[in-house]
Amino acid sequence: MTIADTAPAASAAVPRALDGAISRFVDAESRRMRRKRLTNRVLATSFGLFVLLVWHVATEAGFVHKLIIPSPIDTFWATGRVMSAAYFWPNVSVTLQEIFWGFLFGLSSGAILGISVAMFEPVRATIYPYLVALQAPPKIVLAPIFITWFGFDQASKIAIAVVMSFFPMFLNTLTGMTSVDPNAVKLMRSLTAGRWKTFRYLLLPNALPIMMAGVKLCWTLAVLGVIVGEFVGASAGIGYLIYAMNFQLDIAGVFSLIILLSLFTLFVYQFIEWLESRIVFWKQL
Amino acid sequence: MTASLIEGRNVSKVYATATAPLVALSDVSFGIEEGEFVSLVGPSGCGKSTLLSILGGLEERTDGTLVLDGKHHDAPRADIGMMFQTSVLFPWRTVRENVLLPGIILGLERKQQEARCAELLSMVGLDGFGERYPSELSGGMRQRVGLARLLAHDPRVLLMDEPFGALDEFTRETMNIELLRIWERTRKTVIFVTHNIGEAVFLSDRVFVMTPRPGRLEGIVEIDLPRPRRTDVMRDPRYAELVFEIRGMLGVDH
Ligand SMILES: Nc1ncnc2c1ncn2[C@@H]1O[C@H](COP(=O)(O)OP(=O)(O)O)[C@@H](O)[C@H]1O
Ligand SMILES: [Mg+2]
Repeated sequence: MTIADTAPAASAAVPRALDGAISRFVDAESRRMRRKRLTNRVLATSFGLFVLLVWHVATEAGFVHKLIIPSPIDTFWATGRVMSAAYFWPNVSVTLQEIFWGFLFGLSSGAILGISVAMFEPVRATIYPYLVALQAPPKIVLAPIFITWFGFDQASKIAIAVVMSFFPMFLNTLTGMTSVDPNAVKLMRSLTAGRWKTFRYLLLPNALPIMMAGVKLCWTLAVLGVIVGEFVGASAGIGYLIYAMNFQLDIAGVFSLIILLSLFTLFVYQFIEWLESRIVFWKQL
Repeated sequence: MTASLIEGRNVSKVYATATAPLVALSDVSFGIEEGEFVSLVGPSGCGKSTLLSILGGLEERTDGTLVLDGKHHDAPRADIGMMFQTSVLFPWRTVRENVLLPGIILGLERKQQEARCAELLSMVGLDGFGERYPSELSGGMRQRVGLARLLAHDPRVLLMDEPFGALDEFTRETMNIELLRIWERTRKTVIFVTHNIGEAVFLSDRVFVMTPRPGRLEGIVEIDLPRPRRTDVMRDPRYAELVFEIRGMLGVDH
């Protein structure tokens, strides 16, 4: 119980002398927090620099052959070379489109089916057993078949990305929709709320935090699906470039592509996390 | 005898379980008058929540009849409000938005609801807390919001399932006094579930004493303590007598 339980307006009654002591305490506390955050950042940065240094020394001093692991500087120059090459942007564009559509379809089909299975008994009865059965095997085994079915172009990569990113979104949506306080459902029923209002005011917002976790998984797996698809069989795309450069022993080029892809994925991931903090703001309160 | 607001005749409820059928309520008969404060007391599992759900039209009866205001009653109604042991506030809505929820769902006039919401929040002592989120409130304050939400659409019957059961003793007592004050002003029909005998006696006009296995209505105790009641009623020898009478019916003192 807080003070406000018995006397909601009592918080204004702090004596002035005590007030000064409290604000000094709060200041000291926030200084300590700032110092701690700074220390943590210094630790993380130093570790990163240390790894970079080891990498640099090991490769430049010849402990590891440059053909196997290029040095940081080689990788840096290779990044510039790759990015300014004529083939770079067309291939990036192919992959980005595949990722975009794969992610979008995986996300929306997972969310829509998750909601449908949770809301409609006949839908659940009809398809849920199959979705559970299909969830276990690794979806990657479908990659070669999808190339056969949908061809060497973008369609097959999108299909693989959809199949891979669908399940986490579906399962998270379903879990979110069904893990709801039974009393909250009772409350909605007692207010004569029908199916739609219960969904709009209770089930959907209640599911959003778990669904957002699904979106993040969905994103990672959509990228994975597209790249794997391009490895298996493609004539364009980042995965195809990586595969081709690896074949030509242009390892520095491969490294630069991996780094660029990682940065891009991470950037979008952080954007999704930012969206998440906006959408499910009450989790941060 | 004039007809009561709520009349139950031989209300029974059997749950189908994995093993044997479970008789949660067996032949419960009662009448509840308009404006009456009735408590249901009894140990866990005697069917209090089940009976309350049936009264709310949320749970089907297996047998018996239930009449509300002269009509058969077996579906949720806007003029019956429910409150639970947990506040069941929606964490994504502010205190104000939570109190406005019943009005939104029932499609009530918004302006009127806003005004009523402000009034109710002030009545439960939460002036200035409208824009807070539930996670920023203590357990007692959350139940106050729950109380305001319960009254938001001005239901005629209040069904309260151990609403203060999860609060500490001090907060519970404060909430009881507050509930009594609100009830004295509004004179709604209240059915209040508790397993705290003292609380039931303090609040009620009549106490329904229930016993488990199977859930039955053991008896009804008229609480003839004067109203309006203040906490000093607990010093009344009659208060102690009534508490002991109910204890006896529940077999607590063997
Ligand atoms: N949905 C249900 N399915 C099966 N059994 C139930 C269900 N709800 C309650 N029961 C059983 O019915 C009995 C009465 O429960 P309840 O009404 O919750 O009692 P109380 O509120 O008095 O503690 C208990 O034995 C409980 O286990
Ligand atoms: Mg109960």
